[in-house]
Amino acid sequence: MIKIRSFTYLILFFVSLPLFSQESQHVVSLIDTEVKAKSLQFKERVNFDKAQTFFRESNWDSTLVYSMKEMSNSKNIELIDYCHYFRGISFQEKKLLDESKKEFGKISQSFRFLFKVKMKLGEIALDQKEFKKALKYFQQVEKASKIASHDMKKSTVIHNIGLCYLHLEKFDKAEKYLFESVKLQEIQKDTLMIISSYMDIANLYYTQYKDAQAIPYFQKAYFLSKKANSFNLKKTAAMNMAVVEENRKNLSLALAYRKEYEIWKDSLNDQNKVWAIADLEKKFAIKQKQKEVDVLAAENKAKIAERNGFILSSVLLFVLFGTGVYFYRQKIKSSKIILAQKNELDQLNATKDKLFSIVSHDLRSSVNALKTSNGKLMENLENKNFTELDVLLHNNSTIANGAYNLLDNLLNWALLQTKQAYFYQESLHLASIVQHVEYNYKPLMLNKNLHYKNNVSATDYVFADMDSLKIMIRNLLDNAIKFSKENGTISIYTRPSSEDFCFLVIEDTGSGMNDSTKEELLKDTVLLSKKKDDEAIGTGLGMQLCKSLIRKNGGKLDIESEENVGTKIIIALQKFKNHG
Amino acid sequence: MDNINVLIIEDTPVESDALVKVLTENNYNVVGVAANYNDALKLFYQNTVDIVIIDVFLDGKPDGITFAETINIVPNGLKPFVFLTSSKDRQIFERAKLTKPFSFLLKPFNELEILYALEMAVEKFYGQANVFHSEDQNTVVSNDSLFIKKNKVLKKVQVEDIVYIEVEDRYCNIITEVEKFVILISLTKIIQLLDATKFCQTHRNYIVNISKIEEIIVNDNLVILKGNHKVTLSDKYKDFVKNFRILR
Repeated sequence: MIKIRSFTYLILFFVSLPLFSQESQHVVSLIDTEVKAKSLQFKERVNFDKAQTFFRESNWDSTLVYSMKEMSNSKNIELIDYCHYFRGISFQEKKLLDESKKEFGKISQSFRFLFKVKMKLGEIALDQKEFKKALKYFQQVEKASKIASHDMKKSTVIHNIGLCYLHLEKFDKAEKYLFESVKLQEIQKDTLMIISSYMDIANLYYTQYKDAQAIPYFQKAYFLSKKANSFNLKKTAAMNMAVVEENRKNLSLALAYRKEYEIWKDSLNDQNKVWAIADLEKKFAIKQKQKEVDVLAAENKAKIAERNGFILSSVLLFVLFGTGVYFYRQKIKSSKIILAQKNELDQLNATKDKLFSIVSHDLRSSVNALKTSNGKLMENLENKNFTELDVLLHNNSTIANGAYNLLDNLLNWALLQTKQAYFYQESLHLASIVQHVEYNYKPLMLNKNLHYKNNVSATDYVFADMDSLKIMIRNLLDNAIKFSKENGTISIYTRPSSEDFCFLVIEDTGSGMNDSTKEELLKDTVLLSKKKDDEAIGTGLGMQLCKSLIRKNGGKLDIESEENVGTKIIIALQKFKNHG
Repeated sequence: MDNINVLIIEDTPVESDALVKVLTENNYNVVGVAANYNDALKLFYQNTVDIVIIDVFLDGKPDGITFAETINIVPNGLKPFVFLTSSKDRQIFERAKLTKPFSFLLKPFNELEILYALEMAVEKFYGQANVFHSEDQNTVVSNDSLFIKKNKVLKKVQVEDIVYIEVEDRYCNIITEVEKFVILISLTKIIQLLDATKFCQTHRNYIVNISKIEEIIVNDNLVILKGNHKVTLSDKYKDFVKNFRILR
């Protein structure tokens, strides 16, 4: 007997499960619409919206999370009540009954669906086998449902009350409620509930040992369960039948029922196992995915590091290359400059050598001529050949003059090159300066029978360094005399001056020069040349000195010449501005 | 008209002799030749000197410049001078340049150049540049003398010797107590240059040395000067009479 009792308890426990699930499935509809309305009303409450969405999708964990978030920052009592409700149901579904009870307890008395909360509390109490408490809740709900109609199935409440009585062993009351619920369920044609109700009734009779009354209900439940698709119900019905047949000592039948029970249990287990395996697989897949993601992230990191390294190294290389190119070009440039300077220096050196040779030749020949002339002079003096003396003396004086001019030019050239000379530009009376210079050359010109004319305007004042102006005129005059034939004419005059310049012209009727010589003379380069005429060998130093000095004084040089007709050398000199 | 007094400071006898020769030939009066710094100072302060010719190097030392610097210290005693030098050494020139007014002559030089240098020295010293070579003026006016270039030769006249100046066109007749000569200078210029406290204009054409006035006969428009020179007094310039205390 004790064995059987324990079985019934087991059966009851099994039966209660589908009851709740059914309950929640049906009851949601009204509260569902209400929740939707609320979420529309509180659109800005994102967390609430999410919580209710997950709640309706029976995603309990997410519901718990978002309802908690909503509660933590919401002050609307209505919303908080809803949240507690969501959480209560979620915990109940997750079989955390104590938590669920706590959540339901927190819901305020003004909550619209308070009866549902009571219902749930009742179910929980039932589940925890606190039948009296459960009965109290269910009775409250029943009373409430009498006052106002709800969407809840009255049959369920009644069925639950019946169950409570059954467990409290108040069999007559239990019988009454259970039959009432069966009646209601038959009207509603709720097969599943009918099956469980039948089983409960059967149990009711069976525990009172009214086997004859119990067995038909068991059988009814069993046959109905065959049509239903709930494994749990099928299993329980089969088990019940097995226990019944076993008690009737109909062991072969009992064995058959037991086997059927096993089958249903297995299939239930299978389903559970499939679920579990699927769950495991899912977890495994997620883990795998997570691993993949990790690997990819690591790879990405590595790639980024690699790319950064590459960019950095390429930038470095580029900079290195740039500096290399820069220095290389710099080096090429400097070497080019050095080469050019070297060439220039070589040229200058060659010129210098040539200058030395010509100067030394000129000086030596001059002094040598003087020596021989002096020897002749002494000879003639001994012989008292006085007519010859005069000629020789004049000759000597000419040679000495030439040598002196050469030396003077050399000295001035050196001074100019070393920038040692004092240079001071001032207002100069051009005519006077020309007179000063010509004074020294008059005997020479007279000697060569040259006609000389000086037509320099007395009103011209130039802005120049006196000494350098004298050197210029001296050299040009010297050249003019040197290149003139006997009885030639030399004239110095000024051309009509421009606003800034005075033009001093030194004209001779000498041998003149061709265009190429003229061009060469006007060139900036150092020029040394042997004249065609052997008699008039020059260094070109005088002309060079003239050019340099003219440039230094801010003047210009020009040459007009025709071969065998004569040469005009024109110096443009800066005017003295302050003088009208 | 007097000759110009020149002091020569030169240590080489050959050169100084040549200089003396040239200068005397051109009617300059050489007051002395000093061979060193001390002699130069002595001669300079003992004699009336109009121009000094200074050789930069005396006995190998640039004592010539030292001399110039010495006479430069006393502004009133300063006279025009010309440096002689054979080198264009810049350092020496930079030092010599500080003794303003500064003109120089580079050796070797000819007659024309030394005369030109002397004229330049006078022009520069009295700050009247380009006078002697211009065609409309031949006189440099200093505080106490007129330097006149006559026939390429420089002469001078003491300002205090002038009795009066008669202007004729671009020329001025200078009348002293002993002689009378013509110089080339405009009236406006000479009035500017003459000391206004010593000279005044009595007529469009006359400038009179106030110290030479003997008598002013206002009624006859006459001014009688020393040496019995008579000068016209025009109405326009009568005001100058007020400058005198008139005895009545």
